[in-house]
Amino acid sequence: MAKRLHEVRDAIHVFIEFDDDERLIIDSPEFQRLRNIHQLALTYDVYPGASHKRFEHSLGVMHLAGRIYDVITRPDKISDPVRATMPDPSQNDHRYWRTVVRMAALCHDLGHLPFSHAAEDELLPDGVDHELITWKIVHSDAMLSIFNAITPPVRADDVGKLALGPRKAERLRLGVGFTPWEAILAEVIVGDSFGADRMDYLLRDSLHTGVRYGHFDHERLLGTLRVMPEPAREDKELDESGTEPVLGCERGGLQAAEQLLLARYFMFSQVYHHATRLAYNTHLKDFLKRWLPGGTFPVDVAGHLARDDSDVLVAIKQAAADREAPGHDPARRIVTRDHFKVAYEKRAAPKDGRANDEDHHGDTPADVEALARAAANRFGEDLVAYGAPPSRKRPPDFAVRSRDGRTSEWASGLSDVYLRLPESPDAYVLADATIRDDVRRWLNDNRETLLDEARAAKIEESEKGVS
Amino acid sequence: MNRLIQEALVVGLAHRLHANGSWTGETHLQKAAYLLSELRDVDLGFNFILYKHGPFSFGLRDEISAMRGEELLDSVVPNPRYGAQLMVTRRGQDLEHQLQKTMQRYGPDLDWIAEKLGSRGVMDLERLATAMWMTREHEGASVRQRASALVRVKPHITLEDAIEAVEEIDALLGERSTARPA
Repeated sequence: MAKRLHEVRDAIHVFIEFDDDERLIIDSPEFQRLRNIHQLALTYDVYPGASHKRFEHSLGVMHLAGRIYDVITRPDKISDPVRATMPDPSQNDHRYWRTVVRMAALCHDLGHLPFSHAAEDELLPDGVDHELITWKIVHSDAMLSIFNAITPPVRADDVGKLALGPRKAERLRLGVGFTPWEAILAEVIVGDSFGADRMDYLLRDSLHTGVRYGHFDHERLLGTLRVMPEPAREDKELDESGTEPVLGCERGGLQAAEQLLLARYFMFSQVYHHATRLAYNTHLKDFLKRWLPGGTFPVDVAGHLARDDSDVLVAIKQAAADREAPGHDPARRIVTRDHFKVAYEKRAAPKDGRANDEDHHGDTPADVEALARAAANRFGEDLVAYGAPPSRKRPPDFAVRSRDGRTSEWASGLSDVYLRLPESPDAYVLADATIRDDVRRWLNDNRETLLDEARAAKIEESEKGVS
Repeated sequence: MNRLIQEALVVGLAHRLHANGSWTGETHLQKAAYLLSELRDVDLGFNFILYKHGPFSFGLRDEISAMRGEELLDSVVPNPRYGAQLMVTRRGQDLEHQLQKTMQRYGPDLDWIAEKLGSRGVMDLERLATAMWMTREHEGASVRQRASALVRVKPHITLEDAIEAVEEIDALLGERSTARPA
């Protein structure tokens, strides 16, 4: 029997369609929970419109991932060097993988903790992160019963692998391998360059924060994506015959890809690395450490599904009103907007050629962390914090297919935008508003000495175990 | 492994590979780091999975990215036709000099691996590293069995090339066991 198609309106993609099988996932309690997980944590305290949730983002990722899959498997987009990697578009295998890609895209955020990334590091036991919880949910009885009812049945391992991608599979030591085709499909969902996850969150966050230069021409980019042989990596690599296929864009999509890079830069500098957002993250984390039993979130599926942002918001409100409640002070800071302010910002290296001089280095994030630690020792642990995003990755190089379709080149060799993309400020010393000026003065007056001492101590500590 | 030591060893490996004629792109560094851990027991603390071009570590990729942000490595494009090279910056050199005990301890291992691999191209390194992976995965298997396993996951590599790579890995492992007292 033919599957029925359903549709829902969406702020980015206008309409998102899904079939009966996908609806079973969407209607499940595991997926409905995402209605109560803010996409950008407490960022709505900085950008009032940023109150969107993981629910609509996950639908958007499914929509985009399906579209990318359809583009890259279009017969006229498949060239001979990569044909053997991909399933025949007329065969069942092709339809199976399309189903898996959309299911994996739907499921990729199921393991998110309350308030998304803001509360993740430090609030889970060692060796656990939200992707491991996603993996567990995908393999839970509830999800397996849905996957097994699909014709043909969908393998939970395939959904999990594509939802997490090889980076997380490696980190979590899941012991799963990726064929070249599976590696490309994981790129379609969670890839750093053209992943549907990245495209949707940039567009969606840009819309809801009102940071308009986070927008990019995703329609053009989507239409030019294709699987291609990887470009040569060195002068010894004479042709493409020995290389593995990668997801890249056609030459005609390079400007849209550059626009995505710039959108990413602007969104990081304006939103994701915004100092006040990082301050709120600090207060939220401090609250959760004190409020959660044992200071960590539960990692079993039932315990995980029982918690979302609404529980935490109620607890913050109650703790803010009760001086004796665990986490009262950080809760009060969130509720009364008495958040930490910037006392020091990571210094960039000078751009005038002195960057290689010994005395003109910029700060590293480790330097700023050391300064924050020194200031906390002097001014009080509860009054100073190190503010930084949980990870900082530069966009990776990507492949671009020539206009005649015969060769691939690296974006780094074609795009000045890629090569000269600036780094956004991303590390701060944050301090209570009443002492912020004192902290700032003290750090500026003593920066060199503090950093010299911290570096020397770190080297000595590091080499202690080396014999 | 402590992160500062990890960074110093990545810097030390990159600069030695380059000094031995390597293009020193990310693939070169990835395969050299993997073979360093397998052939010299110098574990940089990264997990590797069988991925594009053989054993690959996203942890190392992220570390390289962070080290570029910390101005320990620089990414340069000497020829737009090819991939970027990773060059050690002045700050990276300083780090290597500051961690004297570390470099005394691991320097000979880095030298050994750079001498063996510095002149090798990416395709060669892919074959070698994957042959090493198969040797670990199929302990006790014959050269041909391991080479066949290699070709199954990397079909663009011929069986003859795979056999040659497995034999070279056996020779390198033999060199290690004769060079080091048990």
